[in-house]
Order: sequence, then structure tokens, then C-alpha cells
Amino acid sequence: MQVSTNEREFVLEALRSGIRVDGRKPLGLRTVDIDIGADYGHVNVRLGKTQAMVQVMAEIVAPYPDRPTEGQVIIHSELSPMATRNESIKSAETELTINRMLERIIRKSRAIETEGLCIVAGHKVWRIVINIHFLDNDGNLLDAACIGVMAALLHFRRPDVTVIGQEVTVHTIEERNPVALSINHVPICVSFAFLDDGQHPVLDPTLLEEQLCEGDMMIAVNAHREICAIQKAGGLGMETSQLMLCTTVALEKGQEITEMIQKALAEAKTKML
Amino acid sequence: MSRLELISPEGLRIDGRRPNELRKLTAKVNVLSQADGSAYLEQGNTKVLAAVYGPGEPRQRSKVVHDRSFISVEFNIAPFSAGERRKRTKGDKRSLELAYTIKETFEAVVITTQFPRSQINIYLQVLQADGGTLPACINASTLALVNAGIPMLDYVCACSAGSIEKTPILDINYVEESSDSPDVTVAYLPKVGKVALLQMEARLHIDVFEKVVALGTDGCIEMRSKLDTVIRQGMQQLVNQLEQ
Amino acid sequence: MQVSFSAPRAAPPVTVHHGDMDMDTDQTHIVTPGESITSDMQYMRGHGTRLDESSDPPILTSTLAGHVSRVNKLVSVKPLKARYTGDIGDIVVGRIVDVGQKRWKVDIGSKGDAVLQLSSINLPGGVQRRKLESDEKQMRTFFAEGDVLVAEVQSFFADGVCNLHTRSLNFCKLRNGSFVVVPPRLIQRTRSHFHSLPCGVDVILGLNGYVWVSKTVRKGGRHNETKVGLDEDAVDAEMVYSNKNEASAINKDERLAVARVCNCIAALAHEFKYINDTIIVYAYEASLAYPDVQDLLKLNVMEHITREAYEQMKNA
Repeated sequence: MQVSTNEREFVLEALRSGIRVDGRKPLGLRTVDIDIGADYGHVNVRLGKTQAMVQVMAEIVAPYPDRPTEGQVIIHSELSPMATRNESIKSAETELTINRMLERIIRKSRAIETEGLCIVAGHKVWRIVINIHFLDNDGNLLDAACIGVMAALLHFRRPDVTVIGQEVTVHTIEERNPVALSINHVPICVSFAFLDDGQHPVLDPTLLEEQLCEGDMMIAVNAHREICAIQKAGGLGMETSQLMLCTTVALEKGQEITEMIQKALAEAKTKML
Repeated sequence: MSRLELISPEGLRIDGRRPNELRKLTAKVNVLSQADGSAYLEQGNTKVLAAVYGPGEPRQRSKVVHDRSFISVEFNIAPFSAGERRKRTKGDKRSLELAYTIKETFEAVVITTQFPRSQINIYLQVLQADGGTLPACINASTLALVNAGIPMLDYVCACSAGSIEKTPILDINYVEESSDSPDVTVAYLPKVGKVALLQMEARLHIDVFEKVVALGTDGCIEMRSKLDTVIRQGMQQLVNQLEQ
Repeated sequence: MQVSFSAPRAAPPVTVHHGDMDMDTDQTHIVTPGESITSDMQYMRGHGTRLDESSDPPILTSTLAGHVSRVNKLVSVKPLKARYTGDIGDIVVGRIVDVGQKRWKVDIGSKGDAVLQLSSINLPGGVQRRKLESDEKQMRTFFAEGDVLVAEVQSFFADGVCNLHTRSLNFCKLRNGSFVVVPPRLIQRTRSHFHSLPCGVDVILGLNGYVWVSKTVRKGGRHNETKVGLDEDAVDAEMVYSNKNEASAINKDERLAVARVCNCIAALAHEFKYINDTIIVYAYEASLAYPDVQDLLKLNVMEHITREAYEQMKNA
């Protein structure tokens, strides 16, 4: 979908006077709404108008032959046609980028302790399957997905198992309380879009800003002031100092969002009790 | 499993390099007769072949852009390129993402507005992968594009960097890549002074991160003079033949 | 079967230029993308350059790898290898890739296929006859996909696409020969691009690097520019748009002559030498030392005949 020159000028002029088209400051985040579902591992996230649904499941499988003591983490992300007005070739590439970025953030940075998912070394391990469905696309699908995934993983409980020798007994929820996953750290993704020749980076871009931007950057951070993943692929060239600035902002926002997730989980817990 | 010592007490890495040393780079342009531009590049043991066709008549009508050229990248990794034979060489997510990343990187650097309604094709073939595949592909593509006479803002020089026990290291090889060491890929435009691509995996503290990125950009600046020499040699050879 | 190996050539020494270019000397400097040429504001920028406004004063920067050429106040960078960009009046050889509504698309090796309109060709029955509707429907009787033709660049469309025409007797469908591709840089602009070599072979050197080598056609043929007073109205459709080679009339020696000339041109291109009719003739004569035409495919033979031809050119 092409944006008209007038629309573009309007957005850029607004930015130059320090305000975005939806009223936010350039580094302002949209309202985050985390809806923890009744089932374990089911979370609905809204970031402004962008909406994503995340479901986490666990199943018992044989481990990979070269990693006999580690569990598996699989991420399926789908950009449903209902999310955007017109499906274009870009959406296939967007889906790929989001999926690969999530794999980096969740798997490569070892957010979940996979050794803790081992049941019987070499025979049975837990496979955690994360399904993400994007229901509404108003920009910044990746950040919404990441919030949803981390909330879902923290909320999820897998069935308890007893292992006697090679025999595995999986207990139902009624028999034994399900067990939480061991999460090493909580990576949160913060995305930036670069507009107006790189002079005005905006945080959490809307769909319109994404279409107008000349470049973008996605940074995943955690509460330990660590960078978990970065993707700035092409687009306008930026100076190293500008990128470092964005990283610093990302660390702050990441902290805010982590607190939001913790709060939502705590509320859900009290509701359940 | 014994932990491999990635940095010896003397400060040498497993292949004998110092932490801020690039691997040996050899490259050649004009290696393919049919392509408009071509380059063969070896960075350490990583070997990549790049071919550029264009700008030419677009073959994919759906992707034609009215005011500039669009770049299409095909990335291929040979089954014999790594220790174990690969079963799936095309169409897997990693290859598609690499191709997409390279395309995005060059679309911002190639002056595409000079060729509206046309297509530039970049074909990459990885013959041997020993760490740093993405930077090697970007460097090879740069050489091939310059060889094809396609206007660019500057050379896109890429380098990988990481950190082992808080020591930033430059130009990661396969063993260092497979360990849990973070992997940062930087593509830099040295004369313009801007970062075209920044990609990172695994966890890195913000203080170390700044140092690693700085090391990466330094490596890219050094890379530019090497790539420049290759281009000049290729040109000088042709000029000598022409004017003798 | 004999298999021969040749060692790679050593790379030549390279001098790298630093700092601002001295625009007053006539030395040709090689620049590469991103390198600054000059910060002197009196110069205008031409092809292959851009103005880097991030510094003060703005610097003229190169976007290509090539020689800096200065014509009065215009500075441009000429690359060694680039796709053909046409000029009005250029003779080009092309291949039809598409037949469309009242026009053909022709591949001339440039950034987009060129266009040959139905109104730009000679129609059988006389140059002056009006276009009929039946002509549109029978476009393939004139040119079909895959046909090779020689034409002249008439003009450019707004988006830079070449507009060709064949409104002269020299321009038409090409037959009885072979197609050779060389880098466009090696074809120089000369008075004529249609050459009849003494060995009985005709060569058309398209400025786009596409070359047609064929058996010399006898009188009454198409390549006869020097023929005066030819009746323009009597364009013979049979001759111009025929798809038949003179199969029976080309004997083995003539075919070998054509093959020999093709290999000579390929050798000159491989050694990156300028190609014109004189050097082709010298190369042909040098190649006669190798009675077996396929020997000309060997690298050392290519080097040898090119060197000899070049020597003769210099001494001539």
C-alpha cells in the first residue's frame, strides 16, 4: 500500500515539531494491554491497535540426536490475512523477519532453560511449542509478539512428571500441580523506525510510520542491562552514536515493559485464587 | 565434554590470531564471463562466489517499482560447504532471511533511482562455510556490484565481531560461532561513516556491546582498503590490456 | 583428447591515489565508489558522481569504479565495465524478445529492452505504403521472438528506454552467420559499423557489444550501403524478412571463415582490446598460422594472435 506524498509530509512535519500523528512523543510507547487467559500459557496482547494471540503448549518428544539432554523450543508465527487490508509480497518477508527475530530473542539467547526440560536423557524431553497469531496489524507486530510470548511463557505450567528408571508418568492437573518453566531471563523487544533522513527515530511505529520509514531497528533487552538481539537490516545508514542512543532508550523501555508483564501476571494470579 | 579454550592465556585465539585481527582475505573480480559483475572472495576458510546481473529488464513484473530499480538476492549454500552434508540447500528459513537481509542492505546503498523499472540480481554461492558467512557474502556482493559498474554510495564492508570472557574479538570463525559467544555482524560504509547493517545474537552486556560494535566498525574500515585494492587490481589489469 | 592447462596471470601492481585530485593535470586517475574527487566547487557533476553534502564545502564523490574524465567544467567517472547506455544514432544489433501490440521488444544488452515500433520498420511493398490492420495481426511474419536484427537508435522514451528504427536498407533481419557478444567498451564509434572483410566475411559491430559475423552477401543484398541509386520502393519482402539461410549456398570453407572471424573477435575481447575492422583483419591473418580453427579457442593462441594483431596495428 503506497502512502501519498501529502500524508508523508504531514507525518514528517509533525515529527519535526516533536509530536507524532497519534499524539505520542517520538519515544513514547502505545498502551500495552496484556490479557492473561484462563488456560495456562494463553495470552492476548494489544499494543495500541496491534493485536496478537499467543498460545504455549508442551508435548513429550524424542530429543535431537546431537542434544540428548536438552528440550526443544519451537516458535510458529503466522500473519493471518485478517490482520491487514491487503496482502502483498512484503507480508511473506515480514513474517519471515518476525519469526527469525523471535527465534533469536527466545531461543538463541536461551530465555528458557532447555536442560530443565529433559525427562529421560536421550529418550524423552519436553518440546515447548509457541504459537503466535497476529490478529490485527497496526505496526510493530514483533514487539507485541515478544511481550505476549514472554508473558505466556511465564504464565505457562507444564504437567508434572515422575521418572522411575525409564518409566515416565505424566500427572494430570488434578493429581499434581503443574510446574512452571525455568526462565533464565526475560528478553523484551523494542523497535525503532527512522524517519526524515534519520533525524527522528520513533519508538513503537504504527503501520503508517512503518510504511514511511527509511530504516528500522529491533533491539531485544533484558533486566540485567544485556542486549539479547539486534536487527538493523539495511535501510538508511545510521551513525554508531545514534544506534547506541537507541540502545540506551531500549534498555529503559524494556524495564518498563517487564514490570507491566509482572503486574499483569500478578493480577491474573490473584484472580485465579 | 571438555570446554574448548577459546582464548589462550597468552591472548591468542584457537587459530593463532590476536583478538583484533582479521582473517586473511583474498579476492578476485571478473571471475565469471556471463555475469555483468562477479567476485570470488575468501575470508579465512570461508569461500563465497558472487555474481551480479543488471540493471536489466525486470523478470518479475509484480515487483517492478516505478521510480527505482529493485534488487533481488538469491542465496545458495553448497551441501559440501560445512562439516556435515546439508540436505536442504534452498528455501530454508535461514537462507531466505540471509537473502532478505542482504537485499535490504544493498537497496539503501546502491543508487537505484538511476534505473527506474529495472532489476538488479545478486546471486551468492557459499562454497565453504567457516564462520562469518553473512559478512563474507556482503563483501563479495560489494565487489561484484562495483565490478558490474553499478553506482553505489560507498563500499559496503562487513565484519563479524564477538566477545569471549569480556574480550571483544574480531572476525569470528566457525568454532567461536558455535560456542555460546555472542555474534555481532556489522556492515559499515567507511567513507560515509554510517552503519548499514547491525545484527546480533546471544546476550551481551551493554558496556561490552559498545566496545564490540566499535571493534566491528574498525574491522570494516580495514576491510575497505583490502576490497579497494582488489577492485583496483582488477581494473588495472584491464586498463593495461586495453592500452598496453 | 588433449587437455591443456594454463597458469593464472599475476595481478599487476597498483597505485592508490590519496587526497584531492589535481584536476588540472591530464592524468587519468582511477577512483572507486565513495572516494572523493574534488572539493572545488567550480566543477559540475556528470555521470558516476554525486555531491556529498554532509561536509562543508560539499565534496564531489565517485559512485563508480573507473577513470575520472574532465571535459571543461564537467567531471564524470567512466567505468570500464557497464551495461550499454545508448546514444541517438547508434547502430545496434539486437534480439527480439517479445512481440506486442504494434511493437517489438528488443534485447540490446542495456538496462531495459529497447522498443521497435511497427511504424519504424520497412514494410514490404515499398517504404511509403500505409500500415494496414493486417500488419498488426501478422507482426510475426516480420520479426518473431529470437530473430536477430540490426537497427539504429532513433530516440529515447521518457523513462530512458531506446526507440529503434530500421528505416534504411542496411537495417534488417540478420541471417547466414553467428552472434558474438563482447563488452560494449571495446567497440569504438567509427564512420561505419558494417564491414566487409577481404576473407569473404561480413561483420556488423553493434555499439552495444553485440556483433554479427556472416558470410558476405552478393550484390543486391542488404549490407550494400555503397550502392547508389537503389530503388527504395522495391524492398523485397522475401529478402528482408526471410527466415531462411542460404543453406545450400554456404560451403564448408565459408563456414570455417565465419567461425575463424568469430574466434578472432572473441580472442580480442578476451584480451580486452579495442575492436574495429582493421584489427580483426590483422588478427585473422595472424590466426591463419593455425590451420585448425578450433585451436583459436586455446588461451595461448588467443594471446598470440592478439599480440601480433596489435603489433601490426601499432606499426601500421
